[in-house]
Amino acid sequence: MIRRILFALLAAAVSLCVLSPTAAPAARDTASDLRKERGRLLEMKEREEKTALELTEALRKEKRSKGRVGELQERLKSQRNLLLRIDRKISALNERLERAEKAVRELEAAHGHARTGLRRAEVVAFTGQRAGAGDPWSPSARERERHFMRLYLAADAEGVARITLARERKEEELSGIERQVAVTEKTMAREKKVGDTLLSRQEEERRRLADIEREKKRKEKELKSLRAKIARMESVVSRVERQVKERERRARKGAVGGSAAREPSEAPRRFTSLSGGLSAPLAGKVVTRFGRQHDTTFDVTIENRGVEIEAASAASVKSVGEGEVAFAGAVSGFGNVLIVQHGGGLFSVYGRLEAFLVKQGEGVKKGTAVGRLPGSPSGKSVLYLELRAGGTAIDPASVIPLER
Amino acid sequence: MSEQPSLWWIDLRLSRAPFVREMIGRFLFFCLLGVAFLSLILSGGGSRFLADRYAITAVLRAEVPAAEAEGLVRKVAALPPVRSAAYTDPEAAWKEFLRAYPGLDSLRGAGGNPMPGYIEIRIRPERLTGADVALVASALRSVSHVERVLAGEEWLPRLLRAGRVASRACWGIFGVFLAAFFLVGRLQERARAVALAGDFAFLAERGVSIGRLAFFRAAGAAVSGFFLAAAGTAAGGGALFLLLGRFPSLEGVIGPPSDLLLPRTVAAAVLFSLGAALLSAAASLLGGRAAGSGRK
Repeated sequence: MIRRILFALLAAAVSLCVLSPTAAPAARDTASDLRKERGRLLEMKEREEKTALELTEALRKEKRSKGRVGELQERLKSQRNLLLRIDRKISALNERLERAEKAVRELEAAHGHARTGLRRAEVVAFTGQRAGAGDPWSPSARERERHFMRLYLAADAEGVARITLARERKEEELSGIERQVAVTEKTMAREKKVGDTLLSRQEEERRRLADIEREKKRKEKELKSLRAKIARMESVVSRVERQVKERERRARKGAVGGSAAREPSEAPRRFTSLSGGLSAPLAGKVVTRFGRQHDTTFDVTIENRGVEIEAASAASVKSVGEGEVAFAGAVSGFGNVLIVQHGGGLFSVYGRLEAFLVKQGEGVKKGTAVGRLPGSPSGKSVLYLELRAGGTAIDPASVIPLER
Repeated sequence: MSEQPSLWWIDLRLSRAPFVREMIGRFLFFCLLGVAFLSLILSGGGSRFLADRYAITAVLRAEVPAAEAEGLVRKVAALPPVRSAAYTDPEAAWKEFLRAYPGLDSLRGAGGNPMPGYIEIRIRPERLTGADVALVASALRSVSHVERVLAGEEWLPRLLRAGRVASRACWGIFGVFLAAFFLVGRLQERARAVALAGDFAFLAERGVSIGRLAFFRAAGAAVSGFFLAAAGTAAGGGALFLLLGRFPSLEGVIGPPSDLLLPRTVAAAVLFSLGAALLSAAASLLGGRAAGSGRK
């Protein structure tokens, strides 16, 4: 929008200068004023674009950050579920561990008891410690007692063996559970660490998101302020444009045999019939196209007023047609900018130049080198090319053969 | 007509006081011999003692129920050599074991009762022989409920041999006492014959033959000996009866008092009395002959 206003003003100023040679001093003053206004507008435009870019960047960051936060929250949720499962498993394992330990303790006690009893029984059997002397005249009773003692010892030995076996099994089970607990605790510690990391990342993302939101608000505020300024400036430019038109009208009244070709309202319709047509400013490939370019990822629409052509660094930039250099100067955001007025309301704008090879007010032919691109270590530089007809930006690729 | 005078109890009529003293002494001796004889008869020498000490133990399997064990007891008790059979259940066996080894009672909780039930079989004293014991043991081993038979095969032959030796010793001692009785009786008869030699010579001069005199003297000795032995055995049996009643522990060695009244015991006592009568007659004959020949 700003660009459109800028070039409308520029076109008006150039028209005044070219078409009204009799009112040249007044037109030069007006042109000077317009240049100042243009400078201000360019600066504002640059600021707005910068702000818009920053806002876009902020929105992209916000979207990405929100996505990350959501992803982190999902991961954190699954992590917490995993930790809960591990907690439950550890609790179950601890219960089993306690039961196994209790069983082992009981078995150890029983084992000790049985061992003691068996030793005592063996001693009793070995030394024949019968209660009293027994009846020495009852060999059958003694024989029976000996047999029963053997049974008793066998049963005791079997009991000890059984308890020993049971204890060994329990100990094996216990060690297995302990190993399982250790593994589970290790897993849990690892998962907790992962969870902590996720938490810290989430916190970090939240902080970043908060920063982005703050930045977004600040930029929105700034954008709002800029738009307000642009609106005011547009009203000023419109007023200046009306003044320029008025001067042109008065100049035409004073001029003899005014040319219909210089009628600004007809200019856009006739610029394609310029002698020889238009040629490419240099050999290169279009890397940024004209018009609205929609970014689906961030849902942002950027309106390009011109195209960007990637070419060899330090390449010469040639005029696309015959005309006169209307402007040669620095424009913030575009570096050195050269504007050539081709007549019929057609202007060509060359941006991001390193040096001018022509001066303002100098006439140029089609193919005349008007500037040079800057050198670059990568061997590539970009030229900004914009065509304006009757104050409206048109697609250069539609009138100039450009490699896409 | 020449009437022969009665020679019965000639010694009593010729020498009353010494004869009565001798009879009293013999009666007392027979009392002692009667006690010894009845004790030997009832105890069977050492058989009753050994039979009371000896028992066959049939250890039952753990799963045998008490009812079946009792049935087995009845069957075993019906065997001829068996005097008694008694079933002891596992609990009672455990208690019995703990009574013997009270230090082991704390182990009960560790593995339950390891003791099985068992049947204790006692053999009749008169059937306590290796053959009868083997018969009972083999009969028990053939029963599926019986896990093991403890019949003391290792030491039973020695025990039976010792029992036989002890029995023979007891009977030998008894025989010695009988021999002593015979010798003392012979000496007494000889002494009396010597003391009555004048009287006997007088009778001989009057036509009484020596042989007839000796016969009637021996017959009198036999009759007196029989009755003295019978009376002494009866008195000894009574004393033994009182003794066994007073000291029941002696039953394990001698036998129950009721056995004194068994017919076989009475028959044995009668036989003993007859034996004593024969010994008395023999002592009279031999003593009279010794007195006549002048030998001691």
